[in-house]
Amino acid sequence: MIVFDSSALILLAKVEHLIRVVEDTEVTITDIVEKECTRKQELVDAKLIKKLIEEGKVKVEHYHAGKEGKKIEKGFNMGTGEVSSLLLARKKGWIFATDDKQTLKACKVLRVPFLTAIHFLLRLYEKGIISHELVLAKVKTLEKVGRYNPDIIRSVLKKIMERGS
Amino acid sequence: MTVLSLRLSRKELDRIKEIATKENKKKGEAARSLLYYGWFFFNLKRYKEGRISLESLAKELDLSVSETIDLLVEYGVPSPISYDDYLEGLETLRQLP
Repeated sequence: MIVFDSSALILLAKVEHLIRVVEDTEVTITDIVEKECTRKQELVDAKLIKKLIEEGKVKVEHYHAGKEGKKIEKGFNMGTGEVSSLLLARKKGWIFATDDKQTLKACKVLRVPFLTAIHFLLRLYEKGIISHELVLAKVKTLEKVGRYNPDIIRSVLKKIMERGS
Repeated sequence: MTVLSLRLSRKELDRIKEIATKENKKKGEAARSLLYYGWFFFNLKRYKEGRISLESLAKELDLSVSETIDLLVEYGVPSPISYDDYLEGLETLRQLP
């Protein structure tokens, strides 16, 4: 099971690969993240996330972060959705998916294992779920919307090329 | 709206007048739009420097997280996630069944 915050969930929705990710992995979000991701229903990513929740492909859990949450929120300048997801992942001993730097810093302090959206593209490719051509195209799209460091993109492309088509 | 009195340098006042002329606005409106842009770029910079999270940035700008991501793309703001962070994520990826 992997807990997502809004950044990783929305990025994967924007590159149109969230459906494949939820078919491959069990995905949970907190109720706060659900609210954040679906509050503007006119957005395509919001529509997709709402549909996946309704179909039960993305599970929603209520998590009250409490005093500890407030402390983390203040200390790392994070939002309540990010904090609730992180603390839910820690409580359950699950992996956490985020594309936010502040949240990654908190993950390291709290020793919560993490992934970013681009790791999911690698996984889908390595498992043979998506083709060589498709993963290359999606990395290009994610490079743009995820605004990744060029070293990260180079490494991902190298891994894909090493594996071959 | 409330009223605030503050001292401005000649240059600052000239800028407000210039914007008012160019945008066909009153000086008060021009000053308020400058405040808005100041607030906007101040928060964008804090995000870029890895000082506030994406959700916090969205909250400060009164936008959803999705709209904020689009805005970061539009302004070419790179993600503060480092190569080291990515490598740590790769280790997590190898643990997945």
